[in-house]
Order: sequence, then structure tokens, then C-alpha cells
Amino acid sequence: MPVSHSKTFFKDLASAAALERLLPKLVMAPTFVVTLVFIYGFIFWNAWLSFSSSRMLPRMDWAGFTQYVRLFSNDRWWVAAENLAIFGGLFIVLCMAIGLFLAILLDQQVRLEGAIRTVYLYPMALSFIVTGTAWKWLLNPGLGIEKLVRDLGFENFTFDWLVDPEKAIYTVVIAGVWQSSGFVMALFLAGLRGIDDTIIKAAQVDGASLPSIYWRIVIPSLRPVFFSALIILSHIAIKSFDLVMALTGGGPGYASDVPATFMYAFSFTRGQIGLGAASAMMMLAAVVAIIVPFLYSELRRGRNE
Amino acid sequence: MHALKIENVYKSFGDTEVLKGINVAIEPGQFLILVGPSGCGKSTLLNIIAGLEAATSGHIYIGEREVTNLSPKDRDIAMVFQSYALYPNMSVRKNISFGLEIRKVPKAEQRETVQRVATMLQIEDLLDRKPSQLSGGQRQRVAMGRALARDPSIFLFDEPLSNLDAKLRVEMRAEMKELHQRIQSTVVYVTHDQIEAMTLGDLIAVMKDGIIQQFGPPQVIYNAPKNMFVAGFLGSPSMNFIPAVVEQTESGLGAFLEGGAGRIFIPLVHCTQALKAWVGKAVVLGIRPEQITHAPEHEGRIQIGVCRINRVELTGPDALVTTCLNKTDVIARVQPSSLCQVGETMALGFDTSMIVAFDPATEEAIV
Amino acid sequence: MNKAVGRQHRAGRLFIYGCLLLVAVYYLVPLFVMIMTSLKPLDEIRTGSLLGLPLNPTLEAWRVAWGSACTGVSCEGLKGYFWNSVFMVVPAVVISTMIGAFNGYVLTQWRFRGSDVLFGALLLGCFIPFQVVLLPMARTLGFLGISGSVAGLVFVHVIYGVAFTTLFFRNFYVNIPRELTNAARIDGAGFWLIFFRIVLPLSPPIIVVSVIWQFTQIWNDFLFGVVYSAGNQQPITVALNNLVNTSTGVKQYNVDMAAAIIAALPTLVVYVVSGKYFVRGLTAGSVKG
Ligand SMILES: Nc1ncnc2c1ncn2[C@@H]1O[C@H](COP(=O)(O)OP(=O)(O)OP(=O)(O)O)[C@@H](O)[C@H]1O
Ligand SMILES: [Mg+2]
Repeated sequence: MPVSHSKTFFKDLASAAALERLLPKLVMAPTFVVTLVFIYGFIFWNAWLSFSSSRMLPRMDWAGFTQYVRLFSNDRWWVAAENLAIFGGLFIVLCMAIGLFLAILLDQQVRLEGAIRTVYLYPMALSFIVTGTAWKWLLNPGLGIEKLVRDLGFENFTFDWLVDPEKAIYTVVIAGVWQSSGFVMALFLAGLRGIDDTIIKAAQVDGASLPSIYWRIVIPSLRPVFFSALIILSHIAIKSFDLVMALTGGGPGYASDVPATFMYAFSFTRGQIGLGAASAMMMLAAVVAIIVPFLYSELRRGRNE
Repeated sequence: MHALKIENVYKSFGDTEVLKGINVAIEPGQFLILVGPSGCGKSTLLNIIAGLEAATSGHIYIGEREVTNLSPKDRDIAMVFQSYALYPNMSVRKNISFGLEIRKVPKAEQRETVQRVATMLQIEDLLDRKPSQLSGGQRQRVAMGRALARDPSIFLFDEPLSNLDAKLRVEMRAEMKELHQRIQSTVVYVTHDQIEAMTLGDLIAVMKDGIIQQFGPPQVIYNAPKNMFVAGFLGSPSMNFIPAVVEQTESGLGAFLEGGAGRIFIPLVHCTQALKAWVGKAVVLGIRPEQITHAPEHEGRIQIGVCRINRVELTGPDALVTTCLNKTDVIARVQPSSLCQVGETMALGFDTSMIVAFDPATEEAIV
Repeated sequence: MNKAVGRQHRAGRLFIYGCLLLVAVYYLVPLFVMIMTSLKPLDEIRTGSLLGLPLNPTLEAWRVAWGSACTGVSCEGLKGYFWNSVFMVVPAVVISTMIGAFNGYVLTQWRFRGSDVLFGALLLGCFIPFQVVLLPMARTLGFLGISGSVAGLVFVHVIYGVAFTTLFFRNFYVNIPRELTNAARIDGAGFWLIFFRIVLPLSPPIIVVSVIWQFTQIWNDFLFGVVYSAGNQQPITVALNNLVNTSTGVKQYNVDMAAAIIAALPTLVVYVVSGKYFVRGLTAGSVKG
């Protein structure tokens, strides 16, 4: 190194190095702020709204649990909650069952696998609004499937779930399963492909039949996939908004309301901001109850790796 | 002037202290080996020298400047990594010239340097390939080339040969040695291969648990290890450690080794002053396998003993035989021609001039 | 015995292909019906069969859906809203992917104390139900003066998309060995130079995944669209919903279907052209957590 370099030159280098060490933090800073404000800050803000007496306009006062009391004494909320339970339960179970079944079938060295997979998965690329519009047309009692079957000669066939307050929520299940089961299939297929096939060969050598190999060995080893699929599907179910809006609009009346449409209706069309905020908090609570154990186990697994 | 001086360097990751006060200094042109078992902190120390990690405390000097707070690019160093870390998206040529380009070296000079380095390492034919199209040995050369192109004041190597197969490793080791003798650069070289350490280094620092156990020329470390760890770490098969009791006899200090076939007297000729205090006490005698051989032409300080042979291993040029002395397995290196059968006895000669005695409690050499 | 096994095997294969085919029909029928309906005139829809091919195929419904159908108060078709969506998607995708790439790069190659905690906190952003931020965000957009506009939607989509893009890029960049960036640092490259010269050239696969994922998510979004946009600034999903639910005059099913296909076309094209990456995005975003 040339001796002519002055002391300040090295000082400058050192401060440049310090700046360089700061740079990564600087780059992450906007994301940090955004996370802090727009996720955690907003959750806090929303919580505050839910404890205020806000109606048409947000008011930053303290009203205790008033909004929650109103929420829990609101029939429409309980309809929405019950609908979510029906929709969520059926949606998850059917998607998993169909997804697993299709994945196992596709895993049998099927010809044209790529094309078949493409067909099964394309609904996932659609907006729930498009799905809802399409199924609304298919399930339309006057001109849809009902008419199709009647034209085939079954004059008394009725299929009017879309306008039946008791059944409307099941049409949401039909459309939802149509849209999401292919995706669950993809998850399971990836899981199946990840299984070490020497295990299956060993079981075959031991004389196990194919169904029993799947039942006793393959499906149990897909446990983590079941887990992920459960998380994702329940997350989709709790957030479900678009599909209900497009398919039934929450109707007839509010017979097919879910918490997401409830929250939207009360917050933005009926001017009950406090009540809407309280219902959003309940949705968050439901998600947290499902997600946190999942994240926790994921992080622990990550640490052990 | 030192080429590199490391002063009181400490490093902690969270609560775990990985380096505990490292002090090393080397002269320009010297080849320093950092050696030690896995996880002892070698790579960490090298990264601190490079500026890739910050030391928790302490100072680093390269040449006459302190570089402790400088970023890697301002330290005038080059480094070769264990995985080679070639830029996968760049050709070999680009890999070698990348550092020059960033330092705004003129294009013509870059080309010249690439040519010079490629010739030196015999990789002219590979210049337009991508790293993925190279063999392990070729990648290693390119990684060396990338370092050599820069002509830095210090080269840092982190186990550069450990990803190569055994034969290639020997070849590259020889080339590396030759290269260093040719360009006379200062090198810090991390390895946990003790043959690399012994053959390449001008100086060796043996590390364990973040502490330098011994620092010195290879021969000194090999012949006069400071403690049982250093003694056992270098040399393969490693040094025999035999418990024994120091005794005062007419012919001076010594110790007896009991075998299946009789007693052998080992005179202790080093450090007799220090050992006087140990008369009647237990010590550990360290004796390397090559210092126990088939009974030779009686010379110097060779002591003959008859030993029962429990195991025989042929390594090719010589054979390792195991016997039992003072209830400890002891390995000797003998000529295959003088081998006997397992269970038989054979006369072994003990070269007692190199024996080291250790304190069994502290494991330090008695000097 | 061999014969019996062979027959059993054949029956098994038949069962498999039968099931797969049946399900494929289930997935395809809605799309088929949509296309057929969109090509039929209205009276043929009323009299003919749902599954029947159009007798007199016409693009009239498509023309109406694109140019003159009523979406709420105005009757100018979907075209304006289609472009709204385009102008919303393009900047939102570009910005959120860029930020995600930078974040992933820092989180893997320049980790600092607390960066893992930050990532964990950010991850929660992938999972919260957006209902919980709707009200505060509505106020904030109003405060920023971009409520009801495409710009406001871009802002919202970037903010809530960054969690996903960061996750993608982090999970991809984790596999780039630290030695590679260390080598570049020794060669004299700094933070940005390493990113643009070493890391970015390795990134096309994950950029494709991230872009496709973000494109699909943002194009298909309805919630933010319906809450934060108004009048002629709405994205196409909202306009489609308005079009279908506008209850003035005769219900034009063919126009509804044509409009739905128009709204679905961009994401369908992306899916068909690069389905492999689409699936990879889905699984990467969800399985690896
Ligand atoms: N970033 C880090 N965070 C926490 N601990 C670390 C980190 N890097 C290294 N360590 C720990 O520091 C110790 C020394 O690591 P180092 O990589 O220096 O070992 P090494 O001597 O190079 O080993 P090897 O021969 O296996 O390469 C190890 O116990 C390691 O677990
Ligand atoms: Mg190491």
C-alpha cells in the first residue's frame, strides 16, 4: 500500500463501509414501516373502531364492548357465522376428498397427465366473480341445469337452490369446490411425487395390495400436505367474499350471508362502521386461531433444519 | 512490517463465543495455515480477516494499515472459497475479470491479465465456458484464477481443495505449493487436512474451540507440540499416548513400559530439569508411530523391546502394527518385509530422542 | 392366473380413466356453457338446450359486453374497466415484484439482527383477512387523496402484495450460497452491484412466478376494487359484477357470459401460456410457508 495515503482517507473508507452496512436496513425500511403501519397499525386501528360508537362516520371514542354486544345479538351475524361453518366445513372436506382422489388417480402413470392437470387447474386462474357469474347461470332455475334435465324428460325435476333460502349457501359450496379442488389436487400430487417410492416397492414386496398401500402408508405420510391444504382452504373460506357476492349477493334476503359479506354490508352500505369493525375482528380471531399454530410449527421446523 | 497482524480478536454469535482472543502475525510472503477440527472457528477467523464478518472486538492490520472497519473491497485481499463460488451466469473469462472490471481497470489491461492468469493455470481453453460446464478441478483452477488476477496483498483460502477427489487433491496441492514459491505472495490458508498443513505451510496455527493452541513452523509443531491436542491432531496415525511413571535410574531419568513380552526402559532425555519434579509421578509419554520401527541397526538413542503384536494393517509402503504397552494400544510403523503374524512377538526399536512427556491433568507438555 | 391379473389390471385402468374423464367434464362444462351461451342470440337461449351448440353463432353479445352493456348507471360496456384493470395491474405487479426481490435479497444475503423477526411479522400479512384493514385503509386513502381512483388501488395492491412477493423471493434466494455474494464482495462489488450483476441474472424463474401470481391475484381481486374505487375508475371484476346484477330490462345472459369471459381472458391466457410457473407459484406461496 502506498504510504502517501492520509489518515482521513482510511476514515472515509471506514465510513463508506459503515454506510454499506446500513444499506440493507435502509432497503428493508419501507417494508418495515409498511408492515408496522398497514398491517399491525391497521389491525390496532380497526380494533379501536370496534370499541368505539362509530356509525356513519368513524368516531374515536370509547364505547366498551357495545359493538360486540350488538354483533352477538344480531340475527344476521349468526346466520353468517352458521353459513361460514356450513360452507367452510363442506368446502374443505369436499376439496380435500376430491383433490386427494384425483391426485392418487393421476399418480398412476396416466397418459396425457399434463393435459388433464391443465384442465383440473384452470378454474384457479379465474376470478371468483367470473366463477360466480358462470355458476349463477348454470344454476339459474328457469334456464339452467333445471331446464336441461326437464328437457330430457324429467318434468318434475327441480333444482332451485339458488333462490331457496335454505339451500342457497350450498350453491356457494358447489362453485367453490369447482374452483379450488384442482388446486388441492396439485398440492397432493406434489406431495405424492415427493414420497420415496422405494417404500412403496418394499410394501409391494411384502405383499400389500395397492389400496392398502395407499391407505396404510402413502396417505399417512401426506400428513403435512393435509395440514397445509387445511390451512389454505380454511383461509380461503374465511375470506370468501367475491364468490358469495357474485353468486347470490348474500341472498335471498340475507340467507347466504357470510361474515365477509356481513362486514362489507354493515361497514360500507349500512353505515355501521363500529359493528363492521367488530365483525372484522372476529374474522381475524378465527384466522389467528388457525394460522398461529401452523406458523409456529413451520418456524420451529425451519429452525431445526 | 507485518503482512498481516491479528490482534486480540474476539467473535461471538449471540451468546456463543466462537473466537476467544486470537493473536497472529506473519511476514510478507509467508504461507500461514489455519488448521483445527470442524467448528473451531477457522472460517470465522478468515471471514473476519476478509471483512465479511465483523469482529466483536480486536484489530486487524494488513500491511501497515488497520482494516478492522473497512469493507472487504477496500482491504486489498483475494479469496478462494471451498465451494469455489464461481458466478454461474458468467463465463470463465468474465469470472476472472469481474473484480478488475469493478475496480475500473482498463479493458486492455483486463484482457492481458486474464491471458496471463489463464496461461499460468492452464485454463486458456476454458475461458468461454460457463462454470456449469467445468469439472471440479477446473472450477478450482478458475477460482484460483479469479484470486490471482487481482494481485492483492494477501490471498485467503478457505479449504480450497476439500471438494476434490483424493488424487486431484494431491496434484493441486503440489501446484499450489509451486505457485506460491513462484509468486511469493502472502497466504492465509484454512484446512483441516493435516497433510496440507504440513506440506504447504511456512507457519501453522493450530486452533481448537476458538483458541490458537500453538503457532509456529510445521516442524516445530510436529516435533515439539505444546499440548496433547496439538500432538494428536497432526500426524497420521496420530501420536501414541502412553501413561507411565517417571523414575530415577543410574542411567538418568526414564520410564518403564510393560508389554505382554517384557519391560522396556525408555530414557527421558528432553527437559530433564523439568521432569525431575515428576519423579515417582504419572505422566503421559507421547511417541509417534514412525518412531517405533522394526529393530534397526543399533544406532544412537534406539531402545529395543520385544512386543506382542495384536493387529497388523498394511498401508502399502509400510505396515502399522498394534501392540499393547502399559495397558494402552500403541501403533508402530514398520517395514512390511519385517512383519510377523498376529499373536507373535517381534523386536521393536524405540527412537527415544523425540519423546514428549505431558502432564496428564492439564495435557500440557512438560518443558 | 396371469390372465385374471391382466383383466383386473385392465378394469383398474378403465376405472381410472373413466373417473378422470368424468371429472374433466365437470371442470370443463361451465366454460363450455359460457362460451356457447355467449355466442347465442337471446331467444335461442330461452328455447334451446343449455349444452346445445349455437345454431346461429353471433358475436353480437361480445360486442355489447365490450362496448355498450350497462354497468350500473353508465352503459358503455366493459372496455373502459378492462383498461382500468390493465393500468392497475401493470404498475402494481412491477412495483410489488421489485420490492419483493429487494426484500428477499436482504433477508437472505444481508441478514441483520432482527431481520428474521421482521420476515415472520411480514408473513402474517399473507394470512390476515383483509376485512380487518378495510376501514382504516379507506380513511388513509381518503387522507392521501387517492381514494376512489386506480392509483389508490395500485397503492393497496402493492402494500398487501409485498408480503407474498417477499416470501417468493426469500424462499428462492435462500438457495443462493452465501459464498457467492461473499466472493463478489471481495471482488469489490457492493450491495447494488451484487444484486444486479450476480443475483438478478439468476432470478428469472422466480420473477416469472412472482409476476404471474401477482398478476392473477390483482386482476382477479374484487374486495379492494369494490371498496376503494368508484364510478369509471372501477376494475373489471367490479364492473362485471355490476353488469350481471344490473336489473334493468331484459336479462341478457349471452352478454353476461361474454363479459365474464372477457374478464377472465387475461388470466386464462397467462395460465395456459405458463401454467407450469403458475402452479409453482401456488405451491411455493402456500406450502413452503
Ligand atoms: N452465522 C453464524 N451464526 C451462529 N453461529 C455461527 C455462525 N457461523 C459460524 N457459527 C458457529 O461458529 C463456530 C465456528 O464456525 P466456523 O465456520 O468458523 O468453523 P470452521 O472451523 O470453519 O469449521 P469447518 O472446518 O467445519 O469449516 C461453529 O460452532 C459454528 O456453528
Ligand atoms: Mg469452515
